[in-house]
Amino acid sequence: MNVGKLIERLLQLIPVLLGVSVIVFVMMLVTPGDPVEIMLGDQHVTEEQEQALRHDMGLDLPPHERFFKFLSNAMTGDFGLSYYHRQPVTEVIASRLPATIELSLAALIFALLVSIPLGVLAAVRKNSILDRISTVTSLFGVSMPGFWFGILLILFFAVNLRWLPVSGRAGFSSEVEPITHLLLIDSLLRGRVDAFWDALKHIILPAITLGLPMASILMRVTRASMLDVLNCDYITFAEAKGLRKSQILIKHALRNALIPTVTVAALQTGSLLGGNMVVETVFGWPGLGRLVVESIFVRNYPLIQAAVLFYAVTYVMLNFLADILYTVLNPKVRL
Amino acid sequence: MFKKSLIALGMAGMLAVPGMAAELKVGFSADALTLDPANHRNRETETIIRNMFDGLVTRDSQMNVVAELAEGWTAIDPTTYEFKLREGVTFHDGSPFTAADVKFSLDRLTKENAMGGQTSPRQSLLSALADVEVVDDLTVRLKLSDPWPILPAMLPFQELVSAAHVAAVGEEAMADAVNGTGPFKLVEWRKGQSVIMERYDGYYGGAGDIAPVGPACVERVIFQVIPENASRVAALLAGEVHIIDKLPAHMVAQVEANPDTKVMAVNGTRTSYIALNNQEGPFADIRVRKALAHAIDRQLVVDKILGGNASLTNGILSPDAFGKNKNLPAYEYDPEEAQALLAEAGFADGLEVTLDVDGANKEIAEAIAAVAAKGGFRINVTVRESSMLVSRFRTKGEPIDGQMWLTSWGNGSLDPVGIFVPTHRTADRGNSSGYSNANVDALLDEANVETDRARRAELYAEAEAIVNADLPKVYLWVAQDLYGVSTKVTGWQPSSDSRINLHDACLSD
Repeated sequence: MNVGKLIERLLQLIPVLLGVSVIVFVMMLVTPGDPVEIMLGDQHVTEEQEQALRHDMGLDLPPHERFFKFLSNAMTGDFGLSYYHRQPVTEVIASRLPATIELSLAALIFALLVSIPLGVLAAVRKNSILDRISTVTSLFGVSMPGFWFGILLILFFAVNLRWLPVSGRAGFSSEVEPITHLLLIDSLLRGRVDAFWDALKHIILPAITLGLPMASILMRVTRASMLDVLNCDYITFAEAKGLRKSQILIKHALRNALIPTVTVAALQTGSLLGGNMVVETVFGWPGLGRLVVESIFVRNYPLIQAAVLFYAVTYVMLNFLADILYTVLNPKVRL
Repeated sequence: MFKKSLIALGMAGMLAVPGMAAELKVGFSADALTLDPANHRNRETETIIRNMFDGLVTRDSQMNVVAELAEGWTAIDPTTYEFKLREGVTFHDGSPFTAADVKFSLDRLTKENAMGGQTSPRQSLLSALADVEVVDDLTVRLKLSDPWPILPAMLPFQELVSAAHVAAVGEEAMADAVNGTGPFKLVEWRKGQSVIMERYDGYYGGAGDIAPVGPACVERVIFQVIPENASRVAALLAGEVHIIDKLPAHMVAQVEANPDTKVMAVNGTRTSYIALNNQEGPFADIRVRKALAHAIDRQLVVDKILGGNASLTNGILSPDAFGKNKNLPAYEYDPEEAQALLAEAGFADGLEVTLDVDGANKEIAEAIAAVAAKGGFRINVTVRESSMLVSRFRTKGEPIDGQMWLTSWGNGSLDPVGIFVPTHRTADRGNSSGYSNANVDALLDEANVETDRARRAELYAEAEAIVNADLPKVYLWVAQDLYGVSTKVTGWQPSSDSRINLHDACLSD
């Protein structure tokens, strides 16, 4: 991989971030709703007290001044104070980020583990019962709304069977000294099998809920590309050579068939961030998505700004990652 | 046989290992924003904090103000209150609680820039408090800038911190460095997930007027954050949590049907009403406003949609509020009368109007629209985000953008100042009807500084009678707050101010 390309990509981030900043700022400006009014809620306050709060939150300045103030502070890494937490938004976001990353990774792993074998099988046994069932299931998987499917899982596995917990990330006694801040990994690194087990039980349902639409899409992509590959001449040739079927599938077909899957997976990982907002709310998962939704409802401008910028950076980097993976899987392609 | 009993004994012993602490879990709809009692403006945050920090005074479950860290208080004159403090109270770190801590905490709440350059967002909750004077170690005097009769009603909202602790950890660290005088001390705040506390064994016992007095019953308390209603109910049904807040009315049956859980209700403090645009459009005509009031069968809506869990009110004040006028005439359900009034106002063929509502109250709005049809109203329900509706209707005297809005206003202090003034005084911030009546304004202003309780109550009753006749809004009901509770929980009562104080709660097997 070429370092020049990486630098080029990073430079491309600058106009993206600037554009996103402007768009978010303008959208918040034109969306009705006054953070000061929302914060005061059902309180009896005088006009002066309200103005004082407005001044405190920096909302008494005209919009263009607010924007340039935001921009110049942001350059130094200062995204302001969250109106509600009254702490730097970077700290608030950082405290919620590991949970979101852990859940997204778990969902991604679930999606890959389910979709690739099923996609391959469906392609190999085209038009079989298995293929049809997986087609219908994946249709459900894509179209079922997360908040509904999540509740369904909760009612079945947590309320009826009591196998898994309803919500949260870990029980009280599963406290582990953080290393990576990802509980599943930290508990293993610290040799705490009980804590690992507990964290695993907590993450299963949200990860399935979050990963299911992605698994469905990836399964279809794997199936389609596998079918394409299986029709190629070199596969016919390999068969003619008398190679074992499993060897043909894994060594010759799968590697090429996976290229589109990996690309789509990398791009879809971005959409996991969006799905997080729903899943984190349903499962009381202490992540960033829920924080952002709550912030939007109460017009917590500084936090929304910073979080959206973070999402934008993540998307760009995931796209870049997809490109790199593409070159790894297919040496003919260069960045 | 003998062998079997031995095994049974052994197993019983294993079950009783000390690690099995009594742990009470609350499935709570929101996380705390901070654990600094002076640095937020949020009811849920206060509910959590209140289990670790006590105040000078508190409220019992009947909403009476009772002494807590104070032993009692007297009003020396209309602008001076003297508080005697309890002896022998300690903070969680063991240091004694004194009058200097009271002064420090209240100054931190009320003085400009007192929180490391920031001003407390709670300042306006004690707006008339001018100064705090330490008389001796166990006596403080609160000096007010003007007579402010609601001081005792507003003080339960404030908790006291240790001056030495704040100096030691610094203002910023107060967000999660807890050292209070409350029944529980902080173990860990897992942000977005849970606040874990354990019993403070050196607790002085809490308000003497609220039995039982002494350290808390349970050893550990966890507020587990579960924002989604259905998930919160599921956690209760699965036995993962023992108490849940904000039980939606349509899920009551589910909780009641489970043998291990029950529903507990308490009169809320939030008055629901339909704000009508009095400035222009059909509702500028009082006959149309009255027609609408007669067209809505409130009891039917309460029974069908809220499961009967609300009490009707004929004015803005809750039936439990101080100064409530108990003799207000009701606008009874009478569709013929509604049609007649509409015809008189020039709408003989009925009237088509739009009712704005936020997503959470959509069902209620649709029910209202359906029942009002008989009275000649064709109501279109439009769902919008609540922040947007606030901007459209609470215009402080500027033109209102809309016709009617199904909304509500909370009143945790149950004192009219917190609800009557903002929603009905001319151009005040919660006046979502564009209502203006000079007599009402004058009465509210007078009551605001009247220190004679009886006279003050009369002033509010008079104002409410005028408003009842002017009818700027259709007053609906005060809904009950519903909680789902495990049958294992004893000694806990829900409270009207929506606090969940766990000092007295116990868990049985």
